[in-house]
Amino acid sequence: MNLIRGFVTTFKYLFREPVTYQYPEQERPFRERYKGRHALKRYDNGLEKCIGCALCAAACPADAIWVEAAENTDEVRYSPGERYAKTYEINMLRCIFCGYCEDACPTEAIVLEHEHRLSFTDRRDAIYTKADLLDPPSDGVPDTPQRVPPGSFDRSIPDMQNPL
Amino acid sequence: MTENTVTLHIDGTPYQMPEGMNLVDAARIYAGIEIPIFCYHPKMEPVGMCRMCLVDIGFEARDRATGEPVLNPDGTPQVRWGRKLETGCTTRVTAGMHIRTKTQAVTKARKDILEFLLSSHPLDCPICDKGGECPLQDLTMRHGPGTSRMAFDEKKRLGKHLPLGDLIVLDCERCIQCARCIRFQAEVVGDDVLAFHERARSLQIISISDPPFDTYFGGNTADVCPVGALTTVDFRFGARPWEMENIPSISPHGPVGENIALGVRLDRDSGGVKRVKRVLPRQNEEVNEIWISDKTRFGHHFTLSPDRLQTPLLRKRGELVEASWSDAIKAAAKAVKEAGNRVGIIAGPMMTNEDLYMLRGLAGHVGSRKLGVWPPNLGDPDPVAEVGIAAGSRLTALGKGDAVLVIASDLEEEAPIWFLQAKQAADRGAHLVVANMRTTKLDRYAGHVIAYDFNEGVDVLNGLTAAAISHRWTNRSALERVNGYDELTAALKGTRQPYKEAAEAMAKARNLVVFVGDDGLDPEGHTALLRAAANFLIITGHAGQLNNGLVPVWPGANTQGAFDLGFSSENTRAMLKNPPEVLILAGAPAAADPAYAALLDRVETVISLTMFHNAAAGADAPTTAVVLPIQSFAERDGTFTSAMRRVQRFYTAHGPAGQSLPAWEAVGLIGERLGMPRPPRSSALVMQALTEEVRLYSEMTYPALARVAEQFPPIGASPDFYGGATRSAAGGTGIAWPSRAEGRGKLTVKAVRAPEGVKPGPGELVISPVRRLYDRTPEFYTATLMHGRIPEPFAAVNTADASRLGIANGDSVVVHVAGAAVHVTAVVDSYAPEGVVLLPLYLSSEPMPLVPLAGTVEKITEPVPAD
Ligand code: SF4
Ligand code: SF4
Ligand code: SF4
Ligand code: FES
Repeated sequence: MNLIRGFVTTFKYLFREPVTYQYPEQERPFRERYKGRHALKRYDNGLEKCIGCALCAAACPADAIWVEAAENTDEVRYSPGERYAKTYEINMLRCIFCGYCEDACPTEAIVLEHEHRLSFTDRRDAIYTKADLLDPPSDGVPDTPQRVPPGSFDRSIPDMQNPL
Repeated sequence: MTENTVTLHIDGTPYQMPEGMNLVDAARIYAGIEIPIFCYHPKMEPVGMCRMCLVDIGFEARDRATGEPVLNPDGTPQVRWGRKLETGCTTRVTAGMHIRTKTQAVTKARKDILEFLLSSHPLDCPICDKGGECPLQDLTMRHGPGTSRMAFDEKKRLGKHLPLGDLIVLDCERCIQCARCIRFQAEVVGDDVLAFHERARSLQIISISDPPFDTYFGGNTADVCPVGALTTVDFRFGARPWEMENIPSISPHGPVGENIALGVRLDRDSGGVKRVKRVLPRQNEEVNEIWISDKTRFGHHFTLSPDRLQTPLLRKRGELVEASWSDAIKAAAKAVKEAGNRVGIIAGPMMTNEDLYMLRGLAGHVGSRKLGVWPPNLGDPDPVAEVGIAAGSRLTALGKGDAVLVIASDLEEEAPIWFLQAKQAADRGAHLVVANMRTTKLDRYAGHVIAYDFNEGVDVLNGLTAAAISHRWTNRSALERVNGYDELTAALKGTRQPYKEAAEAMAKARNLVVFVGDDGLDPEGHTALLRAAANFLIITGHAGQLNNGLVPVWPGANTQGAFDLGFSSENTRAMLKNPPEVLILAGAPAAADPAYAALLDRVETVISLTMFHNAAAGADAPTTAVVLPIQSFAERDGTFTSAMRRVQRFYTAHGPAGQSLPAWEAVGLIGERLGMPRPPRSSALVMQALTEEVRLYSEMTYPALARVAEQFPPIGASPDFYGGATRSAAGGTGIAWPSRAEGRGKLTVKAVRAPEGVKPGPGELVISPVRRLYDRTPEFYTATLMHGRIPEPFAAVNTADASRLGIANGDSVVVHVAGAAVHVTAVVDSYAPEGVVLLPLYLSSEPMPLVPLAGTVEKITEPVPAD
């Protein structure tokens, strides 16, 4: 009896549309919440959002992030405020893609995007540096470091909604 | 503070605490109840500025008519509560006091104060150096409101990275106006360099000195600042506090042995290895309390400097070339072997006890006794072993009724922490006597300033002793154990006694501490001065008592350790007369003195163990055959003995520079080739062997040195109480070995006379070297941020001498002394005594003698080519 029921199920599925994707020719759409490789974001004016606070590194349960900070000046400015990330590295072999770094970031600088094709031939290649992670500036916007008028970017954290 | 214990109720529970104690401290220490604070600091006077410590204070009611306590129906005393909350930090414990810390009013007050502070505080925590160890964050989390009623736009905008001098950066927005920084500079240091400017929400800290923030202690303000308003240029954005390991260590600069913690973290720029990011004080109330000098705080850059010698060097075909350790050791061992017992060793100021022990073992193996100390100008240290300050003494205990004598030393330049402590002792009422041939900053706080002529320091002390004898200010019971008192009395008969009041204050003081330096002294003078100081301490009965005794202001971090292990300055000098065949320079910049630079050429072979391969360490001497790179204090563990004879342990903070080894290991390897047993495998084992051989150090094993004595008042232990970034005493507070006077044996006094001294010929002046805190030795000059603070090479010339020689202030001059020519700028003022030119050491790279000698000063008319 059970045997027959099994065959019936198999038979039914023979006429359904298959769910298999022909990866890599065919890609499956991502959910918005999917957490892939990180990207470091910029403001519209090209300045980096990351201020080198290392809170992402502190939040990371896998100890995958390494941040070293340095000081901005108006002549050599990477990010608003006084501090920027001189070194920013993520070891993708350690990262567990939990997204805690995203939650910890006070400037929404780090975002886990949808890139998931990560493969390395060497352990060292798995360490993504700031150059690998930072989004390129949008068209017509200068790259960092920028030279800015004195005193124009003295806040590290963007203005927020009025607190309740 | 009275020692009366009274009962005080906190939240209904009675506690016993000393009357008159500060309420915040007493509650924390005796009841374990935290009253949150910002502005109060146990090392400074309370000011009640921040209002964070508000509590409800009441007193037991008494019937006006009868004076009897009014009781509640249940028999408990009735308490009359104050109508308003009061600041705990400005309240002293009194009998019958009741405190409430948990009422609604108190809780609300705390919330309101925090909301008020945050109403104009920037949203900087992510980029703030204090973030993670910030009391404002902590107290807001524990006591603050969850929300704010203020709109962000209304925050006050003020300057955000204002340099306050060249070492400290101020962020006015973060300042909560507690005035701890101002009070530290004014009360603790006595350098009035900071002040408030404007008022209310525009209130800002400014520097009122020129050059700005001109002090040797500025880094401490960044420690005590309860917010991130003051940051040091050295550490700014260097790391987040939670990322660093804090390794207990000891300052390698100077004789105080400041307890420090090295904050280390990996660093990409240094090739991904650990390095020191910041230096914080570590509490030790018997040594540095919670303060460190800026030299200790910022002078750590030599530990992984690229200028360090990375590999051993060996002379091949006339050139020093890189070599392997085994070749270098082989060559060194061969040279030592050939020399037989004609081996001399000069050990520098940063050699640890372990290094010295192995060096002495090597010398013992070849049968040499030439164990020298660098610098060579020091006298016989025996008076220190006899009447050195008693083990366990604290300078913080000195106050009214006590006396401090500082002779032949500029404490601020030579041992800044002792300067603070001597100054504060004077503030507390101790009688401070400062005797020197020149003016020093400590003069300002002195009850008596004794300005003597060059080479007359011994006469001053003899005069004080003679006054004590002739007025019978001696201590009868102490004299019973003294040998040679009658001879001393006879020898001092007829000595001039011009400083009677000072002698009386010192002799009658409850406690007496005498700091003896080597300013303007040759070795004989130094020996005599130490002995003369010991005489005074012995006959007045101070020797051997707690908080009494002699403190030698040695030049090095481990000069005392070298003396304890049988090294001496005298042996160093003897090598000039009788040069050894092989000279081992162990971290000794001997070629900085022309006489010893010449000695290097007179020996067959020089083996130099050094961190820096430079001229001072013998790099230019053709006889230098082997150069071995050794590790700094941060790369290894070991022990230093402070000038107060406290043996203190430091721990390995990071990896070595290049292929360097600890000096003890390098020496052990040489010894092994000479047939000595294999060297111990760790410095702990070296110390173990040392304790078995050296009686004074028999207790000083590593586990014993790691013990932590209880610290009072405890700083940095509790969440509501921020005493500064100072680390707690973890890692060990060290052990001081007792002086002979603390035992029962006989003490000896011996009359001494000032030696001949320097007799300048016609047209000559005395050229007297002086030590400056900031100099150009590679151990300090590698801290590039300090370059602006290091004075250009100068010589201080007395106004009278200058006008005779036609020298004006700022002239370029050349000082000729003992065959050396030192090019400096003349500073003409009354700082130098007449007939004496003060020539600071190690400001220029030109060799100069370390002892006072006769010489000439000549004006240079042509501009000197810059070197
Ligand atoms: S990514 Fe965000 S959390 Fe990480 S360092 Fe940059 S600003 Fe800070
Ligand atoms: S001082 Fe404290 S509260 Fe203020 S920004 Fe810095 S970490 Fe935050
Ligand atoms: S700078 Fe810091 S220590 Fe000075 S008043 Fe402001 S908050 Fe207090
Ligand atoms: S008012 Fe008491 S701690 Fe500031």
